Amino acid sequence: MSEHDRIRVLSVLVEDGSNTLSKVSGLIRRRGFNVHSISVGPSGDPGRSRMTLTVHAGHAEADQVRKQLERLVEVVEVEDVTGEQVHSRELVIAKVAPDQVDGLVKRGAKVLDTGSGGTTVEFAGEGKDVGDFINELVQHGAVNVARSGPVVMRRTA
Amino acid sequence: MILEALEREGVEFIFGYPGGANLPIYQHLPEHPKLKHILVRHEQGAAHMADGYARACGKPGVVFATSGPGALNLVTGLATAYMDSVPMIAITGQVASTQVGRDAFQETDVIGATSSVTKHSYLVTNIDQLPRVIHEAFHIASTGRPGPVLIDICKDVQQATAERVDIERLEIPGYVLNGHVDLDRAGEAARAVAGAERPVILAGHGVILSHAEAELREFAEKAGAPVGTTLLGVGAFPVNHPLSLHMTGFMGTGWNLKAVQNADVLMMVGMRVDDRVTARLADFAPKVKTFIHIDIDGSEMGKNVRPHIELVADAKNALEAMTPQIGELHEGRGQWFSQIDAWREEHPLKYTHSNGHLQPQDVLIDMYRRCRSEAIVVADVGQNQIWAALWWNYDRPGLFLNSGGSGTMGFALPAAIGAKFGRPDTAVWCVAGEGGFVMTAQELSVAVEHQLDIKIVLLNNFSLGMVRQFQDDFYGGVRSESELTHMPDFVKLADAYGMPAVRVDRFEEIGPAMDAAERTKGPFLIDFRIDPEANVYPIVPLGKSLNDFWEAPDK
Ligand SMILES: Cc1ncc(C[n+]2csc(CCOP(=O)(O)OP(=O)(O)O)c2C)c(N)n1
Ligand SMILES: [Mg+2]
Repeated sequence: MSEHDRIRVLSVLVEDGSNTLSKVSGLIRRRGFNVHSISVGPSGDPGRSRMTLTVHAGHAEADQVRKQLERLVEVVEVEDVTGEQVHSRELVIAKVAPDQVDGLVKRGAKVLDTGSGGTTVEFAGEGKDVGDFINELVQHGAVNVARSGPVVMRRTA
Repeated sequence: MILEALEREGVEFIFGYPGGANLPIYQHLPEHPKLKHILVRHEQGAAHMADGYARACGKPGVVFATSGPGALNLVTGLATAYMDSVPMIAITGQVASTQVGRDAFQETDVIGATSSVTKHSYLVTNIDQLPRVIHEAFHIASTGRPGPVLIDICKDVQQATAERVDIERLEIPGYVLNGHVDLDRAGEAARAVAGAERPVILAGHGVILSHAEAELREFAEKAGAPVGTTLLGVGAFPVNHPLSLHMTGFMGTGWNLKAVQNADVLMMVGMRVDDRVTARLADFAPKVKTFIHIDIDGSEMGKNVRPHIELVADAKNALEAMTPQIGELHEGRGQWFSQIDAWREEHPLKYTHSNGHLQPQDVLIDMYRRCRSEAIVVADVGQNQIWAALWWNYDRPGLFLNSGGSGTMGFALPAAIGAKFGRPDTAVWCVAGEGGFVMTAQELSVAVEHQLDIKIVLLNNFSLGMVRQFQDDFYGGVRSESELTHMPDFVKLADAYGMPAVRVDRFEEIGPAMDAAERTKGPFLIDFRIDPEANVYPIVPLGKSLNDFWEAPDK
């Protein structure tokens, strides 16, 4: 199994609660897994949040991540969406120099504000596109970059 | 409110200790005479008592402790119960909800500190949550794969009052009981065992927890497969049964290990397949073509050994589904049995009886002769634990209790006390090394206070025997900090607590001392001063495969 196969993308529906995030992260640490990215936000269900986790299984079988998460009472549902037909989006927000803005807008970036300190742009897309976008920013010396983890959803069948 | 809820859950005993953050609960305790509170001498003792109670009678044990140090003293006991899937409810007092997060006096993040050693936990900051939380906690602790559940209740909530609400239906969407049962391949598994040339079944604690011993026996007899047990599975299959392989693992019997290492089909039921069972994982059961794993917890599948056939179910349900589907037995079975018999003769359990010192095996053999299947043996951790597992022929579940997963020294005395509360009509014997015994010896008070009829068998070898043996055998013979000098005079210690006791140094004294213990109503301690060089055999050297077990030297 390649290293890449040991990374799982999981969409996890959890009960809101002060302890939920620490339960999930504690479990991941304790079992020797490693989080690459995590994003959390309210789900469609009131009282529940959706987490999107990208996790490396460490020395365990890759499927252990899902199985161990399912054991938590706070976890309502775990969907393994690794390599599935999914929409996956990440978001980046960056402060860039004025002369960069045009080029970035052509690539699909949106301007959020402009001031004497520079221009703030946002860009959303698949992980790879966001990665390329950031590479370009860095090459041109962007100062401030904030990037989210992915949020995913299965494609409509 | 809390105490009423406990009454409704059918709680009989609470093992606890008061303090600032749970005094509101204690204030009302006398109004509930149905709840018998056992005042322990250290909170760890409370957790082990609740654990022993639960293991002995099957009902969740209940523990009270105050915030901060009180709750933290429970942690070892919670971990012990968690590792061995024992149902327990720990109710801890927390500082007032308005004080949480301010580093108030005796405030500790108990939920944070216990998350990894509980099945689930709750912080209750509002009285309205309480009825549901308590009911849910009992449900979660005692169903599925059981385990300890902690409820941390803020002091102001303990003081609040509310209308009584009866919780009729529980909705815990994240806790799907038996939600992942998978018995699709039960028939295939049954036929694989029956059709194997050299099948072996290993049975763990899950068989005992699901009361599947009769089903296991029926399956094994019909499928013609020999059965070994893990340390926690001791009793799941009668040791005297012709198909018994006795105990497995790195201190298991030689014929068991030979059978496991030569099996072509290995069925593992109700067990975690941990490192103490497999020894060096890469060499575990190397000839097996089909691993079958049965467990109620799907996350156990492939955690350590990847099974070819997995059945996710309660052991009883799985075995019931399998037995009718057993097909033809392999015709080579007779040969397999003769081979196992040959190994049994070649690698028997043995010890040197007459070297001038008292041998632990002689003590246990005498004890077994008296008790047979009529007593519960609660062992501590170390050499005493393995001797007690190997030198009794347990023929039923629930007769041998010990801390298998966590290996918690100090478990035996409080757990034996708890077991006696849970099964007052059964004789309870506590077997402990002197090292572990002094870790929780303060609970002698509880045994005396309640005049509990428990017999304490100290196997006193003047050392941390298991550590000493490892050092002798695997760490260059350097006996570093494993000899216990300056231990108390145990007869005087017992006397100081008000408990009768005798000392035994010679073989001839075993019988009379045991007679005295049996004659005495109430607790009794015997300090058996055994051979300080006695060792546990067989043993697989650390990091080696099960094939490499060492046997007792012939003297
Ligand atoms: C709380 C705790 N500390 C340390 C250990 C490591 N340990 C395992 S066995 C053992 C020796 C136990 O000595 P004793 O209680 O006298 O029993 P014996 O092995 O001599 O029968 C030790 C220190 C442990 N299991 N638990
Ligand atoms: Mg000792």
